Amino acid sequence: MQSPPQLAQKFINWFLKEELAEEVLGDLEEKYYRKLKETSVTKAKLNYWFQVLNYLRPFALKKYRSNSNNFIMINNYYKVAWRHIAKEKFYSFINISGLAVGIASCIFIAFYVLNELSYDQYHENLDRTYRVLQGFKANEDLDTPPVPEEYRFWGNAPIGPALKEEIPEIEHFCRFTPGHSKLIKVNDELYNEDGVVFGDSTAFKVFSWKVIAGNPDLALTEPNSIVLTESQAKKYFGNEDAMGKIVTYNQTVECKVTAIMEDVPLNSQFRFDAIISMKTFYNERPAIFDSWGYVDFYNYITLKENTTIEAIKPRITDVVEKYTADWEQSKFYADVEPMDGSYLNSVAKRQAGKMGSISNLIIFSIIGAFILIIACINFINLSTARSLERAKEIGIRKVVGARQFSLVNQFLSEFFLLSLFAGVLAIAIVIVLAPNFFGLTGVEITSTDIFNIEFALTFVSGIAIIGLLAGFYPAFLLSKFQPSKVLKGNFKTGSSGVILRKGLVTFQFILTIALIIGTTTIYNQLKFLQNHDLGFSKEQVLVMEFGFDTQVQLNIEALKNEFGNDPDVTEVSASRAVPGNFLPNAGTLIENKAGEMEPHSPTIYEIDPDFIPFYDIKMLSGRPFSYDYYSDSTEALMINMAAVKLWGYTDPEEVIGKKFSQWGKEGKVIGVVDDFNYKSLHSEVEPLSLRYEPFSMAKFSLKINTDDVFQTIQRLESKWKTLIPQRPFTYYFLDDNFDQQYRADNQFAQLFASFAILAIIIAFLGLFGLTTYTTTQRIKEIGIRKVLGASVQSIVLLLSKDLFKLLVIAFLIASPLAWFAMNKWLAGFAYQTSINAGIFIIAAIAISVIAFGTMSWQSVKAALQNPTNSLKNE
Amino acid sequence: MIETKLGDFEEVILLIVGILGEQAYALNIADEFEAQTKRAVSIGAVHSTLTRLADKGFLESKMGEASAERGGRRKRIYEITAAGQRALENSRDFKVSLWNQFPAFADKLNFSF
Repeated sequence: MQSPPQLAQKFINWFLKEELAEEVLGDLEEKYYRKLKETSVTKAKLNYWFQVLNYLRPFALKKYRSNSNNFIMINNYYKVAWRHIAKEKFYSFINISGLAVGIASCIFIAFYVLNELSYDQYHENLDRTYRVLQGFKANEDLDTPPVPEEYRFWGNAPIGPALKEEIPEIEHFCRFTPGHSKLIKVNDELYNEDGVVFGDSTAFKVFSWKVIAGNPDLALTEPNSIVLTESQAKKYFGNEDAMGKIVTYNQTVECKVTAIMEDVPLNSQFRFDAIISMKTFYNERPAIFDSWGYVDFYNYITLKENTTIEAIKPRITDVVEKYTADWEQSKFYADVEPMDGSYLNSVAKRQAGKMGSISNLIIFSIIGAFILIIACINFINLSTARSLERAKEIGIRKVVGARQFSLVNQFLSEFFLLSLFAGVLAIAIVIVLAPNFFGLTGVEITSTDIFNIEFALTFVSGIAIIGLLAGFYPAFLLSKFQPSKVLKGNFKTGSSGVILRKGLVTFQFILTIALIIGTTTIYNQLKFLQNHDLGFSKEQVLVMEFGFDTQVQLNIEALKNEFGNDPDVTEVSASRAVPGNFLPNAGTLIENKAGEMEPHSPTIYEIDPDFIPFYDIKMLSGRPFSYDYYSDSTEALMINMAAVKLWGYTDPEEVIGKKFSQWGKEGKVIGVVDDFNYKSLHSEVEPLSLRYEPFSMAKFSLKINTDDVFQTIQRLESKWKTLIPQRPFTYYFLDDNFDQQYRADNQFAQLFASFAILAIIIAFLGLFGLTTYTTTQRIKEIGIRKVLGASVQSIVLLLSKDLFKLLVIAFLIASPLAWFAMNKWLAGFAYQTSINAGIFIIAAIAISVIAFGTMSWQSVKAALQNPTNSLKNE
Repeated sequence: MIETKLGDFEEVILLIVGILGEQAYALNIADEFEAQTKRAVSIGAVHSTLTRLADKGFLESKMGEASAERGGRRKRIYEITAAGQRALENSRDFKVSLWNQFPAFADKLNFSF
């Protein structure tokens, strides 16, 4: 028969009171054999362990009585440490709170960084899943394949099936369309959805999204099926069961809900609200599923297990060549990149969702390290500066036989205690500020994130490292004191400590100045971007979407008139896209200087003749579209200056009248517009072509002139409901929408500024503590100086002189470093503000004001004091 | 000062000690508790309560006999003291008085002992 687990018996014998051992072990053993009769050996053993652990109660524990020296000493260390902390409340407060804020900042930064790194990591097949990139090579250098930046994660429909057919190592392919605005009707309620996509039936095989109801393998196999995410199901059907219900897409296509899935996790690059089966899309537009030129899909492939991508990569071009009949002509390229890490690393031009930024992560990690270093420096400075107070204690300890090693131990344990307090305080700060952090970054910190084993282990080791980092030097310095000198009574802190403190304060200043310069530059750059002349006017523009509705397109001019009749609307224009939207590219041939038709693929804007005057876009040559020329909608093209250059012209006049061919139209170039920034200022204005195409419109732009926007919108809405009842009324203001492109920048700036301010506060908290201490040290000196006739000003000057020197040195070191770093950061923008002297002057003034403000608080107080107070008791 | 009130769990344990009589030792009490209440409990938890009850003077204990399945170890048998008996009665009377003041049941329930 199996006996009870020995280890558990040893364990309980170790902690259990001896007088209880007999009865308890007896009970446990009897229980064990009773259990054995009922269940398996493993379960009985587990139960034994359970019972043993449940004896870890105060009544049953051995009283820990140890006479070992170590134990008594450690107890004493903590007792002394605690008394010391309690006695010097002011310095303990500065040490602990500074360190706590530093640790809290680091925890926040760690959560931010980990969240960015966690994108898409939850997919089980992540290591085998790849994204298919596609790119065209137009005209020049036909034989060199495109560089990674020229690819897009955006491709055609047939490439997925073709790759799977030709390359047996590929297990699945999965395609999604982007969520262009789709008209959805549920229970007679209309919705304009940007998050409803078409997707292949393999979606749940490739990706690890959890399906809550329905069969994941069958949900998307049939046409007219739709899978809703949980929150989308709630939006459409409330608390009813959505399974089997009907969702109508595009007025006529009735889709049955075949599955409900969890919401796509926030840390996913590609997100959506619902998937309609790809076959539904196929039935709608079968031709594009054979077209290698129609590009509007995100393609993913999953390899079979135990295959490598290296084996497959070289074969991709062959497949592409085989399937595109006129490959030599089109020079269409495809490539793959791992999905793992694509959120941070992909350089492809177009992406399926927002992108992370490795450089931001590095910047924040560096700031986190800065903050921690600053907090540790405070600690070192204050402890070494105040070492005199501990000198007697150290002397006595040494006289009675303490070795240096044990003194180091003592101080280290004291600093561990301090950093433990700081750590606990830091967690409290994190919990309190978690909602603000969520608002700033969208990263949620819940109690389960903090109260788990992993966090606890990291936390404890972090605290240990911080305690060591901050306490190592002071511990050694203090423990080196010679008892004979110390106890004679005329001991002064050595000058080595002073030099070190000065060095560390200077270092803190360097970091602080660098952070101030960084913050100012970042804000300057953002302001610059937002005030930059975009080349078009975006104020007071209301955009209403009708999503390619044919009814609207047929009556477009009449509808424009109707909306234009509103008293507050001054101008109306219709177009396929407005500035700030993403645009398709179009393969375009334009006659070059040599008279040949040269192919390129500029982005394309489809507009009406009112668009150019509406948006105040400057014409460089030729004429804009006009209603007076009937042929403008069939045989005319406008391009921007970037496109003029792309086709090899320098003078915009030269290109007027040249032949073009684009998307089934042929005719002449009639006008050139100035380069207006139709995308964000992160990138240069790219070549653009504009055409008048009444049947590709999707949006109205309205210029509003009113004091009561709300009423105007209400009037427009009621008008919309009578004129376009088949579409929901969706609108936004162009400037709001356009500014959203800078949301990531703003978020970055706010985060940077918050952490910079924290770092500065911690640094000055330390400076405050240090000056308070040194001033009290010199209080007698000040008294004597005053008695001898020194003025208040001269004393303040005397006390601040040293600090001023340090500031100047720090400024000289920090400025070039910050200048260099910020120039690197600015290089990521196509349009940059310059780093001018003003920024450095601001930084210099700011740091001087804060530093001398901190300092003079104490020095002025000391200088004003009546010398009798400090001198009377000697 | 030792708390002399009777907690809920303590009361149940005390009663079970009474029920089990000569067989009232920690393991048996824990098993009986599980059987009667269908709630899981560890021997340690019961033992801790028994110790507390003994400190309060509601229980007395003595070592009993050894047996083979206990590896030849003796068990500690618990027994209710007069004070324990009184505490149980007080607790019951208090609850009955509360029940009697509860208007919904005051007239309908007739406790008789």
